[in-house]
Order: sequence, then structure tokens, then C-alpha cells
Amino acid sequence: MRRVLQRPEALALLDAAFSDQPVVLTLGGTIREMLAVAGRKPNHLYSLDAMGQTLAIGLGLALGLDGDRRHEKVVVVEGDGSLLMGFSGLATVGHLQPTKLVLVVLDNGVYLATGGQPTAAAGIDFAATARACGWAEARDVPSDFESLRESLGWARGAQGPILLRVKVGTEQPKTDYFLEDPVLLSRQFQDWLLRAEGTGASAV
Amino acid sequence: MSASSVERSQAVIEGLESIDPRHVLYLPSSTLKQVLAHFLPGGAGAGPERRVYPIPREEEGISILSGLALAGQRAVMIFQDNGVGNLLTSLLTFPRPYHLPIFGIVARRGGLGEYNSMIHTISERTEALLDAAGVRYFQLDSRTPVAEWAPTITKGHTFAHTTHQPVLVLVNLMGG
Repeated sequence: MRRVLQRPEALALLDAAFSDQPVVLTLGGTIREMLAVAGRKPNHLYSLDAMGQTLAIGLGLALGLDGDRRHEKVVVVEGDGSLLMGFSGLATVGHLQPTKLVLVVLDNGVYLATGGQPTAAAGIDFAATARACGWAEARDVPSDFESLRESLGWARGAQGPILLRVKVGTEQPKTDYFLEDPVLLSRQFQDWLLRAEGTGASAV
Repeated sequence: MSASSVERSQAVIEGLESIDPRHVLYLPSSTLKQVLAHFLPGGAGAGPERRVYPIPREEEGISILSGLALAGQRAVMIFQDNGVGNLLTSLLTFPRPYHLPIFGIVARRGGLGEYNSMIHTISERTEALLDAAGVRYFQLDSRTPVAEWAPTITKGHTFAHTTHQPVLVLVNLMGG
């Protein structure tokens, strides 16, 4: 049987592909595993308990950074359970067309942080839903290292909004709780947004 | 004599224009019709520098406002108080603990003048819900001269930024 990517492996690829771009991370194991594979990063926004809100937070950020040449993309890392909790965001993104938005859905099919109860994702075609809502691009990515790396590289250069869904396994490496003060997380991320080096000619 | 709904709505518009929001998020509201018309295409407040868009649910709007606040954008969400219950989890798990100064105008329903037999059941508990949640709000109704409404909205927006927290201004456009 072919081995699927595990979430920490996918997160390491995400961090490498967007090491200089804002990345909004969904709650729970995703944050803890990103910290384990990449360490604390100033361009990562850790939404500690905002289940179902990650896409909409990233949408607001992408709209707010529209025209700001310091930031090419706004990357949102979602799980299938959290995306389903804020599913209307797919329609709002389609309506507003934030060209910098890249949504990566790491779909393990379960609520892993609460004991592995199944989500409703198994029968849902997220990519088709996004396309029906008017997203610029939406793809299912084969669950292997090269395919995800290639797709992330493509997404970096393509016009959004873009959705990538990749199936991941349910291995759960032991990680420490992340108990940082949210005020500090917010401030550090905003400071990074303001001082980040641009890739364009001028900053707004 | 208390100000009419038209006068109160105009005062809300003036208060919002003093903030000059780049993003105006809205949900449906018959009582806010005049305010929304000002910002929608064809209204005096519409323009290429301002994005005005519908939001399907209040909690999604709170999250979008949060992202906009992180990017340093001026923004406001306009909605009715019967949606306050929807947004509390969103408000208390992201912008409030992350100290983000988001701002909302909330139309009051219920009370004297209410014509809907259902809506008062949730709407008349708005202050109690917000108090229990520790959400800061200011009230504009018949107790406040209409001349004070726009300046209060301006100050409410400033207060959100000064105190690094979400702030709502509750406006009664129905006469109460």
C-alpha cells in the first residue's frame, strides 16, 4: 500500500515554500507540529483556538494586503474539520476574489486533536466546491512529497484564490502544548508584516 | 421630540464616514436599509477606494475584520443585534484575546416600536449577552441627542484602537 504524507511532512514543505510569506495556521496539532518541524517563525500566525475561522482570517489578511508589494501571497493552512466549520468562507472567497490567497487543506478525515472522530470530509470534493464558488484554481494534490512540493511552487506563482487539498495520514507525533500569550503572537506577526522585505519596487 | 429613523440613520452614516472605512462588511437588515444604501453601488458612500461586501454570517465577518486589522486596515461590519449570538465564539477566541481593534455598528431590534413577534426574544438580551461576554459596547438611542450620534461613533472607533479590543456601537433606529 502506498504511503501517504503525514501532516508534519506536509507542514515542513509548506514552511519551506513560503518561508517569506504570511502563513495563517489552524489550531491544535497543526500549530504544534509546525513548531516541531520549523520552530517559531515570525511570518506564522498561530490561531490557537479559532476553529472554523482560519480561512476567513486569511481572507481578511489577503484583502488587507492587496496592493502591498511586500507580500506576494497569504497562505492559509486548514484542516478538513475546521474548513467544514467555516464552510461559507469558500463562497465569500469566490465572491471577493482575493488574488493573493492560497488555501492548503491538510485533510486527514478526522478531528485528530479530540480523539480521531471522523469528519464529514470523506464524501466532499473541496476542490470542486471551490471551483463552483468561483475560485481561480482548485486542485487535489497526490499525497506524496514531490507532488506537494511541485504544487506549492506552482501556487506561489499563480494568481489566486487557489485551493490545494492534500490527504494526510493520522500519525500524531508527541508535541508539547503551545501556551503563548495570544497578544504576543498577534504583535509579533504584525511587526513582521510591517518590516518584511519586499519583492516588489515599493511598499504601500 | 425624538429624532426620526431617517435622521438617526443619517447620523450613523456621518459617524461612519468620519472613520472613512476602506472595507464595509454587511449583513441583511431592514432597519439599516438607509445606511447600507449609502455604501452600496449608487450610494454617496460608494467609490473605488472602498470595498463593500456581504457576509453570510456574523462570525465569518468577525474573522475577516480580524485579518483586516492585522493588515492595518480601517474596516467596519454593519449588522443586527439578533446576530450577536452567532459571533460570540469567534469574537472571544480570536480578536479579543489577540487584542485586535475591530469595530461594528449593530442595529437594535425589539422594544417599543418592534413589529416582529419573534425577534425581541434574542434582541432584547443583547446587552446581557455582551456584558456576560465582556465585550465593550456603547449605546445610541432616544436618550442621546441625535447630534451626538456621529461623534460617539467616531469616538467608539478610536476607543477600539486606543484599548486594543473589539468595540460595538448599538444603534436604535426604530425610535426606542
